[in-house]
Amino acid sequence: MTNYIVTVKQVPDITQITGNAFNPETGTLKRGVLPSVINKLDADALAFANKLRTLSPGKIICLTMGPPMSEEVLVYSLSRCADSAVLLTDRALGGADTPATANPLAYAIKKIAKNMFNGSDDYIVISGMQSVDGDTAQVPAQIAEELQIPCIAYATEVKIAEGKFQIEKIVAGGNQWVSPKRLPCVVTVANYEYPLFASFQRSRLAKKFAITNWALEDISPTLYGYDGSKTRVTRVFPPPKSSRKNREVNNIDEFIADLLSDFKKGSAGAALQAEEADYIVPTEREGGTFQRIFESTDKECEAFKQVAQALSALNITSVEQLDESLVDTIQEHLQKKLTKKAIQEMFEGYKVTEPSYSGDVWVVAEHDAEKTNDVTFELLGKASHLAKLLGLRVGVVLAGYKCGHMANDLIAAGADDVYLIEDALLEDFRPVPYRKVVADVLKKYDPQIVLFGATPQGRVLAPMVAYRLGCGLTADCTALDIRDNTKRGAVGILMQTRPALGGNIMATIITKDSRIQMATARPGVMKRIQTDNSRKGNIIEHSIKVEDSDIEYDIVSTELGSESTNLTTADVIVSGGKGLRNRDNFDKLVRNLASVMRKKLNCQVEHGASRAAVEQGFVGRTHQVGQTGTSVSPKLYIALGISGAIQHLIGIENAGIIVAVNSDPQAPIFKHSDYYIVGNAEEIVPKITAALRD
Amino acid sequence: MERKEKEYTHVSILVVGAGPAGLAAAIAAKSANKEIDIVVLEKAEAAGNHNLSGAVLETVSLKRLLDESGFDWQTIKGADTLLERGVKDDDVLFFLGKQLSVNISPLITIGRKLGLSFGQMCNEGNSIVSISKLTKILGEIAVSLGVEIYTGFGAKEILYDRDGKKINGIKLVDQGLDKERNPQPNYVKGETITADVVILAEGTDGLVTEDLVAKAGLKRKNNQVFSVSVKELIRVSKKQYQLFGDNRVVHTMGYPLWSPVFGPAIFGGGFAYSYGDNEIAVGIIVGADWKYYNFNPQKAFENFKQHTFIRQFVDGGEVIEAGVKMIPEGGYYAVPRYLQQDTNGKNLNTVGYKNVMITGDSAGFVNMNKIKGLHNAIESGSLAGKVAIQCMQNPEKAAQVYTGMLEYSSVMDEMKSAKNLRAIIARFGQTIGYPLSIVGNYLPVFSMEEDYKAMTSDEFTFDIPGEYDKSTFVSLAGTEHREEQPSHLSILDSSLCIDKCDSAFQRACITFCPAGVYEKIGINTHPANPSNCVHCKTCQRKCPFDNIRWTVPEGNGGPKYKQM
Repeated sequence: MTNYIVTVKQVPDITQITGNAFNPETGTLKRGVLPSVINKLDADALAFANKLRTLSPGKIICLTMGPPMSEEVLVYSLSRCADSAVLLTDRALGGADTPATANPLAYAIKKIAKNMFNGSDDYIVISGMQSVDGDTAQVPAQIAEELQIPCIAYATEVKIAEGKFQIEKIVAGGNQWVSPKRLPCVVTVANYEYPLFASFQRSRLAKKFAITNWALEDISPTLYGYDGSKTRVTRVFPPPKSSRKNREVNNIDEFIADLLSDFKKGSAGAALQAEEADYIVPTEREGGTFQRIFESTDKECEAFKQVAQALSALNITSVEQLDESLVDTIQEHLQKKLTKKAIQEMFEGYKVTEPSYSGDVWVVAEHDAEKTNDVTFELLGKASHLAKLLGLRVGVVLAGYKCGHMANDLIAAGADDVYLIEDALLEDFRPVPYRKVVADVLKKYDPQIVLFGATPQGRVLAPMVAYRLGCGLTADCTALDIRDNTKRGAVGILMQTRPALGGNIMATIITKDSRIQMATARPGVMKRIQTDNSRKGNIIEHSIKVEDSDIEYDIVSTELGSESTNLTTADVIVSGGKGLRNRDNFDKLVRNLASVMRKKLNCQVEHGASRAAVEQGFVGRTHQVGQTGTSVSPKLYIALGISGAIQHLIGIENAGIIVAVNSDPQAPIFKHSDYYIVGNAEEIVPKITAALRD
Repeated sequence: MERKEKEYTHVSILVVGAGPAGLAAAIAAKSANKEIDIVVLEKAEAAGNHNLSGAVLETVSLKRLLDESGFDWQTIKGADTLLERGVKDDDVLFFLGKQLSVNISPLITIGRKLGLSFGQMCNEGNSIVSISKLTKILGEIAVSLGVEIYTGFGAKEILYDRDGKKINGIKLVDQGLDKERNPQPNYVKGETITADVVILAEGTDGLVTEDLVAKAGLKRKNNQVFSVSVKELIRVSKKQYQLFGDNRVVHTMGYPLWSPVFGPAIFGGGFAYSYGDNEIAVGIIVGADWKYYNFNPQKAFENFKQHTFIRQFVDGGEVIEAGVKMIPEGGYYAVPRYLQQDTNGKNLNTVGYKNVMITGDSAGFVNMNKIKGLHNAIESGSLAGKVAIQCMQNPEKAAQVYTGMLEYSSVMDEMKSAKNLRAIIARFGQTIGYPLSIVGNYLPVFSMEEDYKAMTSDEFTFDIPGEYDKSTFVSLAGTEHREEQPSHLSILDSSLCIDKCDSAFQRACITFCPAGVYEKIGINTHPANPSNCVHCKTCQRKCPFDNIRWTVPEGNGGPKYKQM
């Protein structure tokens, strides 16, 4: 008998987003425009829990935290499979970031285990891999860290073997079957094919069911609400206008001509934020420390510029001269008025001239024991840039077994110090032992910025390490800059910009109440620097004992794609999805088109696949493009029979030109493409192939 | 969660369909007795999603229903402004060709003064409403009163007890079957819901209603006939909107459907209503007894929008929503009745069967003089709701009591006043039919053929050539279904498509289906894209060989009308 707790979340239905949903000025979502629904992956998690229950019977309790109306997702869950439901609702819990969400949820889980499972430890917490509004994937891992239990991330299937659960999960380039060595544990679900239907009987019962309501005092969490959060949003703005052409193709020949000419021009639809002016610390700025020209928003920069001019006109040159009496005088000198409070805050902020954080800029390396993954080199490129601005060194954590040989490549790619941790128990990546050693080395050397790859590994490791060290973490950053937030006395801090709500808004986030500023970035987003094999650096061995008891699950088998693919370096990627219907079609259409492309364009052409196509067995996992596969940035991306699930779209957003063929005129991918063809790929692709041959 | 099955699968009053009629029934019943459990089932994901109408509403029934509920309904968000758009300008135009229009409003006013049937087209005192919004708000009011509404559940059939004493309840559609009807791991067998009283309020051509008609042997004096309505909501420039006016309704006759003497002859007309926020609702209503094998109502609508009069208001506008539905037009003699007599030999002929009542469009309560059914749906629903409560002790009397009340209500008054209009036009055409219809009620009952029999090899000439962009239309209707489910549309005998329809009518369904569901694949006609279906059911009524059947797909599928 095992019991199950499913965490569910109410989210805005971003599939129904239209231009009307956002305030064009601020970029924020208008309240009440989008219907609220259960997070899709949480619905999958419920189905997964239901499957678990067929293998080992027990109760399913669903748990959510949010405003009172979140009760709707509990009713949804009760209408399908849940036996009971707990709503955690309290104004004090609002405004929370991921650790301040994970903590109360973990305390609620403890209480559920105590009250509803009679203190039994034989339970599993099941969550959707991530929520569609935040898509950070941090909360489940941080719940596991708070509860000091294992986290098995990206699960897709489960079975019982020799009386124990075996869970299939996604790993970079393949699948892995693992068996948890102890319960409780957290399982996050990446996808489960058969979401449950509501039954009438259950729906009726759910409507009358007395849902358990808990407030703050019922669970007494240690970290919650805005005050307990480790990050703060400083700015929300609309994403750069997609420059995707959204052109429907009616004539194949004309389309091929346009496409080839676009390809030659290298027209990039990608909307990456342009690099801003290089940051200089206040003490080295021309014109003195009153020059606060690197604030996080243009508005602030403008305000500071005015005040600096006024101060200059008044012949004020040092911070000591600023006093209360000056506030009114300054106000008179301003063209655009500022409040008294704002000026007081600025005066206070001027006193801070040194960077707020100390320590170096680090990257946590990811590798397959033979070579380092591309994302690590990309992060090193970014780290080098940030370190240069602040005059710091670049460090890399390289943990594993017999992995020291990779240190020189890391140095050549920009690292100054490689912190090497080797242990036989680190041979395979598992979150629990890895988070232990990484947190330990960070604690010892105290860097100020740490970057992780937003990969299946990084997205579980980073949140656990951040939570363990009590630090803020921003997931999936697309831009990282150094800026000041003078009014709050912050100088030389990391501005972490990321998309949210499925890429419909951008948010700039800063870390607060933390020793380290942590961020993850998706593969293909940052740019590596030129490799320089003559670079010198240090290798520092760090020792920390990994115990057998740290190993949280047995790896039963790992299945990695046999073919090697180089999706990240490809110029052109031809991808196929479930719409191609079978393996034969996939082979014929995708491979033919890829080979014709290769001849015509004389460049590196790879073939990719959607998650669904991999699940259907059309092609190996190494070809999977998307958030749970590989994020790619080719010059040309061609999607055949791929509808465009959000995870796939995120994985291709940095591609140059996107072409989509799909029979469903409403396929979401069309909105994200430059050229699209409505039609059956089996008919269209041979025409494209033939047109290219001519 | 303990399961006490009976407790949850038996309902005192079960309403099928959360549209205006069904929700009126639920609200009226709950207002009459708070203690009795009332369940409303709806196949759409949310109440209002499947409702489309013009709509110009006669507000009397609605106001009475809500006032009698004793509930402060204006506190529901959006309810206070629901009826604010009163009709101030009311035009009836005759389109002569694609450029000319003649205002015949004075004629209607005279008709009204003389008390003639066509005078009912006057809209003074009525309000312009969005039926999707109205339904959504009625749903919220019903829930506030304690009605249980379950959306996402498709009702598939009536549970008819062979002993004939009463109806036991309904059966829901299976969920979680794959395309080949194999159960998937998440399969849920269609549940059985038993009920003391059942109120059918499914809208036009109701699946369960027709199942009851067939199983219990209800009869119609005349065949039910339909029209197909195509509607778009268009956001126009401020200037165009001001030109049109903020409280205006325009109804048109003539182009592109009918040109007296030599032109095409399809019964129907167009409309344009102010919707606020620079939005104009534009639509066309087409009698489904069109005879042209190549006719598509959407193409006609496209032509209609290009008429000089309409074009000036909508040219360059952005279509925000689009949709299609059928309207039952058969009138009084097409209402299904169970033929029976009371002990004194008096005809009861109930609109329903024992403990089942049929309301709104499912019954066919559309007044053809006004071409309005919404007020009758609300009125008949309200009556059915009250009767259900009255008959809790002897539910098998419900249909009888309901029918008795209907006969003395405004619903049947109106139905009788327009009882022959549609049939006269079907028989004599519009040129003679309209004048003749003034004395229609003194003429004998004319029979009507089912719409599908009207198809001929005549060709309709559209002014705008080319294919209609159905895929954009479908996406503007927001329609979606889970792809991996059995097709809810079936062709009974594919040899008819191949051997007969192909040569005679070039497989008309491929042309007229507004959602592009049908395709020719190989030699067969297939419902190839059932997930595009907007639930209008035109195919079921217009296939020239009566060879298509519509059943209900898994719950939550279908269009997502927001303000249609």
